[in-house]
Amino acid sequence: MRILTEHEAKKLLSKYGIPVTKESLAESATEALAIAVQIGTPVAMKISSPDISHKSDVGGVELNVVVGNVKTTYNKIISRIKKVAPDARIEGILVQQMAPPGHELIVGLKKDAQFGHALMFGLGGIFVEVYKDVSFRVVPIEKNEALDMISEIKGYPILKGIRGRKPADIEAIARVLVAVSGMAQKENILELDINPLIVGETGAIAVDARAMIDA
Amino acid sequence: MLSSIFEPESVAVIGASNNESKWGGRILKNLLSGFQGKIYPVNPNENIIQGLDSYPSVLDIPGTVELGVIIVPYKYVISIAEECGKKGVKGLVVVSAGFSESGNEGAELELVSIARKYGMRMIGPNTLGIVNERARLNASIIGRLPHPGSISFITQSGSLGLALAEWTIATELGLSKVISTGNKAETDDVDLIEYLSSDPSTGVVAMYIEGIKRGRKFLDAARNIKKPIVAIKTGRSKRGAKAVFSHTGSIAGSDEVYSAAFRQAGILRVDTIDELFDAALAFSCQPLPPGNNVAIFSNGGGASIVAADECEKQGINIADLTEETKEKIKKVIPEFASVSNPIDTAGTVSFKIYNDSIKALHDDPNVDAIIVIYVHTMISNAMPPAEAVVEMKQKCDKETGKKPIIACWMGGMGTEEGVDLLNSGCIPNYPVPERAVKALSALIKHREFLEKVKTGDAKAGKCL
Repeated sequence: MRILTEHEAKKLLSKYGIPVTKESLAESATEALAIAVQIGTPVAMKISSPDISHKSDVGGVELNVVVGNVKTTYNKIISRIKKVAPDARIEGILVQQMAPPGHELIVGLKKDAQFGHALMFGLGGIFVEVYKDVSFRVVPIEKNEALDMISEIKGYPILKGIRGRKPADIEAIARVLVAVSGMAQKENILELDINPLIVGETGAIAVDARAMIDA
Repeated sequence: MLSSIFEPESVAVIGASNNESKWGGRILKNLLSGFQGKIYPVNPNENIIQGLDSYPSVLDIPGTVELGVIIVPYKYVISIAEECGKKGVKGLVVVSAGFSESGNEGAELELVSIARKYGMRMIGPNTLGIVNERARLNASIIGRLPHPGSISFITQSGSLGLALAEWTIATELGLSKVISTGNKAETDDVDLIEYLSSDPSTGVVAMYIEGIKRGRKFLDAARNIKKPIVAIKTGRSKRGAKAVFSHTGSIAGSDEVYSAAFRQAGILRVDTIDELFDAALAFSCQPLPPGNNVAIFSNGGGASIVAADECEKQGINIADLTEETKEKIKKVIPEFASVSNPIDTAGTVSFKIYNDSIKALHDDPNVDAIIVIYVHTMISNAMPPAEAVVEMKQKCDKETGKKPIIACWMGGMGTEEGVDLLNSGCIPNYPVPERAVKALSALIKHREFLEKVKTGDAKAGKCL
């Protein structure tokens, strides 16, 4: 069993054609600045450590970092983590494109002892945490089944656009679901969260991800 | 072949007894009460059991033995299974307990390997037995043979399964088979579904499930069977939430996954025992509705509103009747009654009112299914409307396409005769409107599944 860092998990998603945020791992403040400039600021900066899976709980995340603050933010996060989690192995800081506007979704996988992999879909944030407004399928699924999964949740009207808002790109979500369904077995996934997957009027993009694989 | 278990020509009861309060006595008595094939009691301590010659061992039986029912103490089971194999027995029903359910996995594996060595199929161990009404075969401890019907009931639980089977008999629900799976050591749900798939006397499979052995295979078998499966899967309650790595992991308990998997395979998962048999009954004797539009006909406004509310909850559409239909109904119900759906005769009841109205509704192209309600009162008679429904049903089935008719005769005392008539006319009847609507909803869900996933014949079980 191995836990992938956010960056590793997203590389895996990329391999299956799932759009992920532009990002690179910086091992120094100078490198962080170079990456930030290349991606375009403001950026998100997140601690990268195989020992820290809840990054914001330990103060390992800074959002909307402007170009002039990248270097100081790098050092700030590193020193904070060294205090809070002195034993954590630190790989560096993930410098990442800020999430585009859109709806926060969650897409996940869990290996089930009985039926193979279960695929989960729902709206993110409080919708998943409080209301558990999610739908499930046993994989593999095809596009029609993915569209059914999306329309099954109670919050579906939100994605279709309420109060004059434009509808979200439901086809793009379906593509992600089918892609995740396809990687379940091939990558020996035990658990996977794409949380959030952000869907806008066009496209869906994985902004954060975590994975546990059987390796 | 599982047919050796369900349709044997001869049965040996190993561990048979003269004492009917013992399982070996009870099962022999049950076999004797209906089964027409050869029955051989086996017990080394008796010469005659329940009027039949008893044999010390299966090997001493002069004729061939197709099915062996084993009801002996645990320690003798293995050697007796071996003897059955040598005798050329084709199927075993092992009632004896004490195997994997008590931690003796090794003995169970040994039993399976003996069955495989001799090419025997085996139900159990730790089963309460099997019933095949069609063959008048009751190789179980269930009190008596059920009424004939097309529901086959597979139950994993021992005592609850027994209680349910007894209850279906008491409620005169028509059954084809009752199968207590026991430990599912050699024959499991997958094998049974495959067997029932090609069994002409099974129209619908009702299942009581605690756990599945081969998940993916089970889904494949369920997807392939051209018959509806209704199932209760117990264990919905969550064990204490443990810390897990991901959100998905914390939400995707095995129950959620079961629900998703069942739905994908077209298994209708229900929550209650009532729903299990209510749906099975509807499947066993009504066709699937061509669409989602229901007409509700009642002599009482309150009951029809309850039905309409439940339809709303189940996502069933209240049909817009054609003007022609309304005109036809207007002719037979009082002027002050309502001809818009749900139709309420304002208390009036007669053969003609029910007959003509149901005919009109059945002929209406906007109507896919009909719920007929009769609310019993001191001044009405439950028989004429029941006669009308049964007669109309037979006529409509011949003349036009088939549409399900579901009945709800409310009021208990005084409705019995009418209810009996409905039962004998293969009209599923329920004591309250909500249950009638839920049963209809099961038919609709299954039709939707067939349209979506399955190819082939979209027919529910026929009236057998």
